[in-house]
Amino acid sequence: MNIIQQLADWIARSWLHVDPATWPAMWVVYAVMIAVAAFVTFCFVAIFAGPVSWIERRIAGRMQARIGPNRVGPQGVIQWLADGLKCLLKEDLRPSLADKWLFLISPYLVFTGMFATFVALPWGVNLIAADLNVGLLYLLAITGLVVIGILMAGWSSNSKWALFGGVRSTAQLVSYEIPSAFALMTVVIAAGTLSLQGIVRAQGGWPWDWYVFRNPFLFAAFFLSFTSAVAEGNRTPFDLPEAESELVAGYNVEYSGLRFLFFLFAEWANIYVMCAIATACFLGGWQIPGMTPEQVAATHGWANAGWQVLSIGIFIAKATVLVFFVIQLRWTLPRLRVDQLMVTCWKYLVPLALVAILGVLILMVLVPYRSVADYALRGVMVAVGAAIALAYARRIWMTFMADRELYRRMEGKPLWFPPYRLP
Amino acid sequence: MGPGEIHERLRAAHGDAILEVQEALLDPVVVVKPERLHAVARFLRDDPALRCDTLRLVTGIDRPPEAIEVVYHLLSLTHRHEVRLRVRLTREDPLVVSLQDLWPTANWHEREIYDLLGVRFSGHPNLKRLLMPVDWVGHPLRKDYVKPPEYHGIPTDRKAVMERRVTAVAPAMHEAKDVPADCFMLINMGPHHPATHGVLNFLLETDGEILRRVRADVGYLHRGMEKIAEGMTYASTMPYTDRVDYLGAMFTNHGWALAAEKLAGIEVPRRAEFCRVIASELNRIASHQIATGSLAMDVGAYTPFLHWIRERETINNLTDRICGARLTYNYMRIGGVARDIDAETIEMTRRWLDHFEPMIDEFNQLISGNEIFVRRLANVTVISPEDAIGYALVGPNLRASGVNWDIRRDEPYSIYPEFQFDVITGQGWRGGVGDAFDRFWCRMLEMYESVKILRQALDRLPEGPIRAAVPRAFKPAANEVYARVEGPRGEAGFYVVADGSDKPYRARYRTGSFTALPMIERTAPGLMLADLVALIGSLDVIAPEVDR
Repeated sequence: MNIIQQLADWIARSWLHVDPATWPAMWVVYAVMIAVAAFVTFCFVAIFAGPVSWIERRIAGRMQARIGPNRVGPQGVIQWLADGLKCLLKEDLRPSLADKWLFLISPYLVFTGMFATFVALPWGVNLIAADLNVGLLYLLAITGLVVIGILMAGWSSNSKWALFGGVRSTAQLVSYEIPSAFALMTVVIAAGTLSLQGIVRAQGGWPWDWYVFRNPFLFAAFFLSFTSAVAEGNRTPFDLPEAESELVAGYNVEYSGLRFLFFLFAEWANIYVMCAIATACFLGGWQIPGMTPEQVAATHGWANAGWQVLSIGIFIAKATVLVFFVIQLRWTLPRLRVDQLMVTCWKYLVPLALVAILGVLILMVLVPYRSVADYALRGVMVAVGAAIALAYARRIWMTFMADRELYRRMEGKPLWFPPYRLP
Repeated sequence: MGPGEIHERLRAAHGDAILEVQEALLDPVVVVKPERLHAVARFLRDDPALRCDTLRLVTGIDRPPEAIEVVYHLLSLTHRHEVRLRVRLTREDPLVVSLQDLWPTANWHEREIYDLLGVRFSGHPNLKRLLMPVDWVGHPLRKDYVKPPEYHGIPTDRKAVMERRVTAVAPAMHEAKDVPADCFMLINMGPHHPATHGVLNFLLETDGEILRRVRADVGYLHRGMEKIAEGMTYASTMPYTDRVDYLGAMFTNHGWALAAEKLAGIEVPRRAEFCRVIASELNRIASHQIATGSLAMDVGAYTPFLHWIRERETINNLTDRICGARLTYNYMRIGGVARDIDAETIEMTRRWLDHFEPMIDEFNQLISGNEIFVRRLANVTVISPEDAIGYALVGPNLRASGVNWDIRRDEPYSIYPEFQFDVITGQGWRGGVGDAFDRFWCRMLEMYESVKILRQALDRLPEGPIRAAVPRAFKPAANEVYARVEGPRGEAGFYVVADGSDKPYRARYRTGSFTALPMIERTAPGLMLADLVALIGSLDVIAPEVDR
């Protein structure tokens, strides 16, 4: 009995005054409810993909000593709306020799593959569209639709560059599914469930309760799965399917207008999805520090609503930090070559993921849950994680200071602006 | 070895082949019988005392009514001397033996001469038009050339183009787009492609991602610079040389000025020489920034490029102060420079240099040490020194292959001998000597050297005039001269034939990218598509320099 069905039944009982179990036209209510739910999720995707695109462009601007979009709305926050509108008004071109139907539907396939993942994402204590008992498996499977869409787009465009992009993308996505799935299996083993809510509930609010800091193998699995996810999302350094300096634009080179927008939409939504999966599986998801889900469920009224909203906020905040990291990677790293990409996957990521699975299994036997050894291990891992985060922040800070000093000496004013006083 | 000794040795071995030695010319030329050219050339290349290992330039000169001449500039990198050969052919059916088996670089030079002057080369494997469309009628650099009124319905006259609306679409006739013999996929990379750095076309035959054959199709930017120069006075050709190499306009300016000054025997004031060096080295840094930044962009890192653009902005502002332009400088004049450098500009340049040196380190932190970047470039497209010399690569591309040759040091011009700087050669820093990373890193290190030269030049800038007294009617006596400068893409050479009038009789521009393109054709087979992009970027090819 999921939330949508409960809601439909409630509407039937209280508004239409019929019994949902016996009323023959009940399927109409269900169909309308499903359409409404799909629309709400769609808007949800849109308001995540849009701002992510704006965030990405502003961060890229900052990293590249330029400004980025800052004209539409305060600091350009609704630039993505303007861009979307522009794309809607563009002519929808179709090459005359393209395979018409495949060309027309492939952007929607790509988008559907991305959109469907939102169904199983655990946003808050009780907020999930469908808490599937095979949630993780569902996520891995449904993203396979993206491959078909991209290959279709590349093939049907009747352009060799697009075909290159499509074929590269297929090879890449199919390969990186494997280390990605293996690395996520470690979490499944540790939690004992495939349900994403179950995985989140098996963790806790504090960092030492997160799976990433449970033991060294889960720590490694986090990086393995995240790397694979970046590759599956076609992001730099794995953005070969759309390598703009080699393939011009890859599989979407012949697209324009709304269909082109759907590809970009899917890409930016995908950043969020992969960060959300990593957050749910490794970083404690929506867990509130110091509050267990049972304690939240025990509260009533406004307090309950407050905790619910807080849990959603925590989840989104964690995912956004990861999104920032993905964006930073994109604007820092060069691109791998095709053979290097495959070597990275098959020679390094797949064996390492298998080792991680084995390691998690062994540690589960050796170190009993919540024993002294378990807590010691967690403490060590949290320290390691904190050290990495500190080194990362320090490097950025040092470069920032050096740069600021250099520009101040030459031009009498700093190049950089604080975030609260953006140009 | 001096020219006298060389000619003596040549005469001893091939006395019967030599018609005449033109000792009176500024750069003496040996006139050879056309049928003996190949033997003489082979002797010059293989004789241990001469060893002219590189063919720098092949030029065709039309001299109606009697002859068409082909002039070969040979250079010995081992012995640091030059030999020039000339053959005289009949205008009706000019035919001479091809030298592309001795020096592979001759291949493209001979194609260009065939295209523009109609000289045929026997034994040439692919004697097709290079710059003009394959079905073009006539040879434009002949003195009696008459422009066809239209080409596929497109009027060639400017006025007619303005009046008439062209509706007919010309067939794609540039390079014969023949179907490959085997069943590889044929792809057009360009003319509009982000990685070709200008309007260049590469015809790729690929087997999946692996390239089997690459042919460069050039001529999209052919503006006929050499023909334009024949109709212009020496001074008014200067702004056109800006457009030959738009990233290193200071060097093409400098080369042209040097050629004209050599012809007329003009002494340039010292302050003007310093101004030239300061402007040139600023320009060299700017050009290397584009080269290294766009190489990083070609392998997928976008950010470094924009940081270099940010730094280049200051150079543009400085050149704006120095010569009033940010890209096409038109700064040099025959006998000096256009404007003086004021004290404030010097102060600004000093301050910028202090700022810039740490910025290079920061750039290296950002990209040069990046593992992915290094793996994309190291051991990729290794060019051996023999190939580099045979294909007449110049500048950083040549030095990256381990050949120690820098015109600033080895054939000094201007006041470069007064400055202390190192010539950077490829050491195989991350892979084999002469790989793409070496070419990248050579350019990075050359920026430090340019900074060194700039500091010295700014410290020692003397007072004095900035222009020598040059007569308004500049008419150098009939003579021939070849002037070369070390540009960011290597040797920017200007071969000028004067006939005593105020216009050059023939001007020939020798550019670095023109010889780098055949190298791409040679190196590319077997590479992956992504490596080709790195190869083009690391050779720093820009299209207007190829087509001129």
